[in-house]
Amino acid sequence: MPLDFRRFNGPEDSVSYTRFTQDFLKSYDELHNELINKSNLRKDGRALDEARSMFARTDMISQAKGSAYVELKKTKVVCSVFDPREIPHQNEFSQLGQIFCEVKFAPFSCSRQRRPAAPDAEDKSLSVALRQALEPAVCRHLFPNYQIDVFVYIIEHDGACLAAAINAAGLALADAAVPMYDIITASSIAIIGDKMFVDPTEEEEHVAMISPDSENVNHGIITMSMLSELKQVSDFIQIGSMDTDCVIKAMDILEKECAKLIPNIQQVLVMNVVQNIEQQKKLEEEAKEREAALNAKLEEWKTLLNAG
Amino acid sequence: MAEIYKLIHPVKYFNDYISRNVRPDGRQFHEHRNIKLNVNSIKASEASGVVKCGNTTVICGIKLELATPKAEEPDSGFLVTNVELLPLCSSKFRPGPPSDYAQVVSNIVTDIVMNSECINLKDLCIVYDKLAWVLYCDIVCIDNDGGLIDACVMALISSLKTLTLPNVTYDPETEDIKVDITKRSPLKVNGLPVATSFAIFPFFEKSILLTDPSAYEEDMCGGNGANLIVCWNKGFLCGTQKFGGSTLSMEDEKQALKIAKQRTKLVEKLIETCIDNESK
Amino acid sequence: MGVEVDTKEFKLKPMKCEFNFLSKSDGSAILSQGETVTLVSVNGPLDIKMQSQSIEKSTLEVLFCTKGGKPSVADRYKESIIKQTCETAILGSLYPRSGITVTIQELEDYGGLLSCALNCTCLALLNSGLAMRFVFAAVSCAVDELGNIVLEPTQEQATSARALLNFVFESRNKNLLTGFSEGSYSESAYEEALERCRAASDLVFTFYRDIISKYSNVI
Repeated sequence: MPLDFRRFNGPEDSVSYTRFTQDFLKSYDELHNELINKSNLRKDGRALDEARSMFARTDMISQAKGSAYVELKKTKVVCSVFDPREIPHQNEFSQLGQIFCEVKFAPFSCSRQRRPAAPDAEDKSLSVALRQALEPAVCRHLFPNYQIDVFVYIIEHDGACLAAAINAAGLALADAAVPMYDIITASSIAIIGDKMFVDPTEEEEHVAMISPDSENVNHGIITMSMLSELKQVSDFIQIGSMDTDCVIKAMDILEKECAKLIPNIQQVLVMNVVQNIEQQKKLEEEAKEREAALNAKLEEWKTLLNAG
Repeated sequence: MAEIYKLIHPVKYFNDYISRNVRPDGRQFHEHRNIKLNVNSIKASEASGVVKCGNTTVICGIKLELATPKAEEPDSGFLVTNVELLPLCSSKFRPGPPSDYAQVVSNIVTDIVMNSECINLKDLCIVYDKLAWVLYCDIVCIDNDGGLIDACVMALISSLKTLTLPNVTYDPETEDIKVDITKRSPLKVNGLPVATSFAIFPFFEKSILLTDPSAYEEDMCGGNGANLIVCWNKGFLCGTQKFGGSTLSMEDEKQALKIAKQRTKLVEKLIETCIDNESK
Repeated sequence: MGVEVDTKEFKLKPMKCEFNFLSKSDGSAILSQGETVTLVSVNGPLDIKMQSQSIEKSTLEVLFCTKGGKPSVADRYKESIIKQTCETAILGSLYPRSGITVTIQELEDYGGLLSCALNCTCLALLNSGLAMRFVFAAVSCAVDELGNIVLEPTQEQATSARALLNFVFESRNKNLLTGFSEGSYSESAYEEALERCRAASDLVFTFYRDIISKYSNVI
């Protein structure tokens, strides 16, 4: 890899110390068996079909037009949306507005290793997935030849980060007052053998991504985003190999999970509107005060001028 | 109305406030914004700190790696500090490699930490000429509303203060490395450098110091970012940087040093209380 | 001025300067301060891309080229210092929608590179004939282990010093225009250093005057 002149670089041969810990060399079976305990509960005490509670809020970033923060226990994602702007270096007129998405991981976001500062393949594939998920939700015909920038930053990654990113982006777009057809929600599921982990953690995702030794075993991750009111799937991403029955079953579960998130998001949006109205009132009052003060100043100057 | 006025007559809008001895956000000239600090909130990193100064939000996370020390300095480890100004924190930044400004901020923050000598790189060496710690301190800005360097230094120092290094055993014969994460020792941090930013606004014949400027104030005062950064550590100055903006007279300079000293005491107390509460 | 300092007791490193060292640029200067040598070329006002044009003032671009040629983060920092200093000094509002390019080439570095580069930039700007609010002079000093202040330290003095302080003053009121430092130092050392550098900046301004009068005679 070429040396990055724009950053301070560490030594080339540095490796994460976790390589030398005892936990590093665990076999697939060990990792697999660790995920579920005897009473069929996951490591963090959830049942298999239980999603993590989502915390979401809008108006995180003062400089952005709209922004949102989504937290699924340890997974933390922040998203900001900027004003539509003319597409730079554009030759043809595009009828539909474009959405530019960038998903980035913080260098310290993953517990396994330090993320490289330059965007890698995972960052890019997530960016594409996010754009595909958002495009059907936004009324793009309303701003032809313009693009909306959506930036997502993953502060901490503990599984289901694409789902969290889509949820955050949906909220941020709504906060930025970008016209949309419906509330967009997303959820993900990890499949290992005959077990389905709803809203997986990073550990579960990691195991799901390893191909087991025996063949014909279902494994992989599915992330699906929905426009629930319209009953439309806006994006479906599957990694890994699994049979059709499994996929259909997973889709049913994901559809329900996506719908479950709706009241939560609605509440956040309503709160956002209420807060904005209150803020507006406060600002107007303040502005009146200031205007009065400025007018007084103007009068003062006028008298000064008239006096000579 | 006020918003329109701000757009049409940006300079006059700002001047009107200054002439009434108040800043657009209602602060006095030497008043700084509220500071919020949270340590160890990101469990995926070894140590972390989240700082909010007014709207400005900065996160610092530290990752630990092992490497062979440099041949020129076989008894020192590495401290690699980078500041990333994300495109999401302000419309001024575009995606892509770090901009010139991001590099300048990285350089200033690294300089402050190095000049204050709060971390002895020799403490990071495990085995002479064979093995040393590499501390990757990545500071990311989530929301940029001025006073960026203050927040970056604060986030970095509070994370360094909470950092613990796992125990490493090295077998010189087999070159075998074993890390025991259950046994950890804290990193020695000597002192507590705190930076304070000022913007200098030319107002008729004199210049006015604005403590802890917001992004809007920084823009109005010209230059790139804050104009004056004063950094104190244990009663010593470990960096005074003055760039752009209006010129600085002797009286203003003295005043800036005094204000920075007071704020440093406050921030020191804040960081110590926060870390105490966390460790309980 | 608070402290009266006699300028006669100061000695700066011997300075030598030559204007119009480069024939193709609008203004250029080569300056040696002691053994440190820099070459600066100024071009402008010139036509630039629509995107980077500003309707209020000229767009300043500063390039710092090291001897090794490899870019680094530290170089961007140096560029930023020089750029912000020039931005205040140049009357940019006289050249709207145009660009001014300043290129600095490091030739020899035996300590005090940045202050030499700043002084050389000022001379090149004078040579290019761009309108300026004031000229500026950079002076560096070192604080040694005992807290003594050494003006324009030699390279050995600089490496053994506790701190290195650099100041840039403008010519009109001798106010501080730019300042940057390395190492840690006490408040009193800082103030003393500032005053001594402020007084020593006179020598640099005198040098500027001599150079300009020398070249003006030729014309």
